Amino acid sequence: MSNKQFLKRLFQAYYEERQDSIPAVDLMEHREFGFIPWEKPIMIRHMSFSNAQTFRDYLVKNSPMHVYSSGSLYMLPNIPDMSKKQYQGCDLIIDIDVDHFPTPCKVDHDKWYCKECEKTGKGMPPHKCPKCGGIKFDGLSWICSECLDAAKTEIKKLLYDFLIPDFGIQKDELHLAFSGHRGYHLKVQNEKIRSLTSEERREIVDYVSGHNLSYEALGLRERGNTIFGLLKDNIGWSHKIVTKIEYLLITYDNDQLRDVFTEFDLSTTVIDSLLKSKNYFLNVLSKNHNVWTMEGFGLANWKKFLDGIVHLISAEIDEPVTIDIHRLIRYPGSLHGKSGFKVQELTLDELDAFTPLNVNEPERDPIVFQSQNIQKIKISAIEVPPTTLKDETYGPYKKGEVVELPNHVAVFLLCKGVAQTV
Amino acid sequence: MGVTLDVIQRYPWLPSLKTYYADLASLNPGDFIEEIFSKYEDGVVEERILEIFNASFDNLEQISTSHEDDLGVYVYLITKILLFALGDRMITNRVANLYSKVNYSKLSQENVFNLYYICHDLGIDLLYNEDAWKFGVTIIKQQTQVKKTHFKLYYIDYLKLASSIKDEYRKLVNVPLEDGYVYILNKNLARLLQEYVRNKFLSENAPPEEEKSSMVKELLKNEEFERIYTTLKKTWEVKKEHFDYALKVDFETDKNISQLFPPCVKEILSKAQEGQNLAHTERLFIVWFLLSLEYPVDAVVDIFSTMPDFDREKTAYQVEFAKRKEYTPYKCETLKSYSLCRAKEYKDEICLEGYYSKTQDEQKKISHPLSYIKVKNYREQRKQRQEHYTKKKPEENQIEKTKLDHKINGKMSPQKEDG
Repeated sequence: MSNKQFLKRLFQAYYEERQDSIPAVDLMEHREFGFIPWEKPIMIRHMSFSNAQTFRDYLVKNSPMHVYSSGSLYMLPNIPDMSKKQYQGCDLIIDIDVDHFPTPCKVDHDKWYCKECEKTGKGMPPHKCPKCGGIKFDGLSWICSECLDAAKTEIKKLLYDFLIPDFGIQKDELHLAFSGHRGYHLKVQNEKIRSLTSEERREIVDYVSGHNLSYEALGLRERGNTIFGLLKDNIGWSHKIVTKIEYLLITYDNDQLRDVFTEFDLSTTVIDSLLKSKNYFLNVLSKNHNVWTMEGFGLANWKKFLDGIVHLISAEIDEPVTIDIHRLIRYPGSLHGKSGFKVQELTLDELDAFTPLNVNEPERDPIVFQSQNIQKIKISAIEVPPTTLKDETYGPYKKGEVVELPNHVAVFLLCKGVAQTV
Repeated sequence: MGVTLDVIQRYPWLPSLKTYYADLASLNPGDFIEEIFSKYEDGVVEERILEIFNASFDNLEQISTSHEDDLGVYVYLITKILLFALGDRMITNRVANLYSKVNYSKLSQENVFNLYYICHDLGIDLLYNEDAWKFGVTIIKQQTQVKKTHFKLYYIDYLKLASSIKDEYRKLVNVPLEDGYVYILNKNLARLLQEYVRNKFLSENAPPEEEKSSMVKELLKNEEFERIYTTLKKTWEVKKEHFDYALKVDFETDKNISQLFPPCVKEILSKAQEGQNLAHTERLFIVWFLLSLEYPVDAVVDIFSTMPDFDREKTAYQVEFAKRKEYTPYKCETLKSYSLCRAKEYKDEICLEGYYSKTQDEQKKISHPLSYIKVKNYREQRKQRQEHYTKKKPEENQIEKTKLDHKINGKMSPQKEDG
């Protein structure tokens, strides 16, 4: 039996057994559905279901590799021509995917291969191959509790530093889910939000990511030889920035600060000057003064410094997802074909304690195929990094190894495409 | 409590007009015109209407006399009917611009209660607090001044009102936002309402052409209306001559270059052609873009001659300044952030799918509108070569390509572009 046949049967068994736990999304009959079948790597779009049961029946019968529904509402969701669907509005969708930003653990479990010269390296692929300058890479990206924690940190920043305090989003309007692989999805459902155009959604993206922030609009300016900075008392990004600077200067020692500021691409001389004036600067900020004149700091260096601070504050979101009003997103309760994990809905209160790879309550556990039944599989990738699921670590493995693993681990490796059924 | 009659007479575009003038709301445009012209027989209607249109044609920002009475309301409604009948986008833009400016100056002097009820009448979610909210401070010459306002505007309404302004100071990321509301000063609220008024004129949906012409025919049966209509048409014909040549953006050395423009540029030029007011970022971009392609200053200035607020001397000074500074036009990422990218609306293949880079052996995205021209030029020439292989000498194509490459490369950061 091929990998895909094996996995499709497993997915079918899951949908058959757990169909009642697949939720019905709000206004289901007005949403477009999409599926990627196991047989062909194509998206089947423009489908609709009048109720939850016909949708569940479809899942049991077809058990696709991936299942999606639209954030948008249409009068005619099953019409292929987008202009004829009679668009009614779209929920605000935000996606946080750890694949899009660096984490320290990537050096341990991700690998890239240059397609030109076959050079390999650890972590995220560089912009250019250091050996041949090539820009095309293959690679293996893995997940671990550390990078999923990083994704959780970003979603918490988004919720508690932006959406709730600044946008006043109510908790009952927020629908949060673990994506089943590398991150979290957030859907904001509110009648007024549905009326936002793509351009207006871009303004929200800019706000949470700090893009197009104008330091001049916030007060940064040079008059004569004096530089005037930002003030904490000004509500919005000014307040966020000054609070973060204060936090860093108070909490971090000089060595830690040097590491942080080096990441901001500031020169050693400028960093030395900033560290020397640390107490003066803290004093200015805490007294809500705005004279930021400091040796070595012209407007350009201040902007570089502020860019670094903004990067620390902002949330790493997948921008095109939020702007696109016709995007399909993974359906809650469905299975992710690249991990075998369930797309797990969560309340905000559950988020803190949620560790996707080691959940103990079955109703909130994305690892639905957990079992001590043993599956024999053969490793097909050149190498497979260690995998920690349910507090147990498996691997690393090399190509050609035949290993006997608990069902859920075998399913994960098969879904990741690094092993074959034996 | 809501807006009062005097507020409606000052701002007849408010929805409560229908409540105060319920007797008119039931009339069709033809009957309405008939009634008004028979009610005021001494030419006063015509006088007031011509004053508005002539001020619009002359790019004025104020009307000499302000009429806040019943007739003012009727004149507003007849103006809208005339705009419909004239069916000229440029005239509509000019009148919309005048009305929005006049309204801004009235709104910025309005008391807080009226401002609140005006927003309320428009269905805008605006909060008012008698004790002004503090939302920040400014320090000028060591003197701290507290920033206060009586108003907070729901962020979704803010985005809808501010979206056409495209000014970085009004981007959501740069304004004080808390608990879903933007703290907003009276004058900034008046500025947003000004845009509402402008859009109110511009967003009217015209009926199908056949229906429209029979409606216009019916309207023109009224003698006074027909006379005003004809006068306006004649006056506009004369005015229009001053900028009829304005949108010929080709210049002699590159006859067909405007055909290579990306959708973002085409959109701005088409707005200019309609005489729509361009946002600040749109103006900057089009100037920098055309100057990068070595368009003569006069040709660039002419593009703006259709603008409702055109001043040739000031524009020429600003374009000259931009030329000296050699600014680089915005890249695609920036255009997207200013909502100026039009790739999707125009379904433009080059913008959406990019191009195949031979040197890098992969599909690459267009990252700059100037690269777009280069890729499009390459494709056009390839197409021409294929179609007219025997008709044209290859070196002619090469000369054109080299000329264009020289212009574009001189204005962009170095990157490989090989179509």
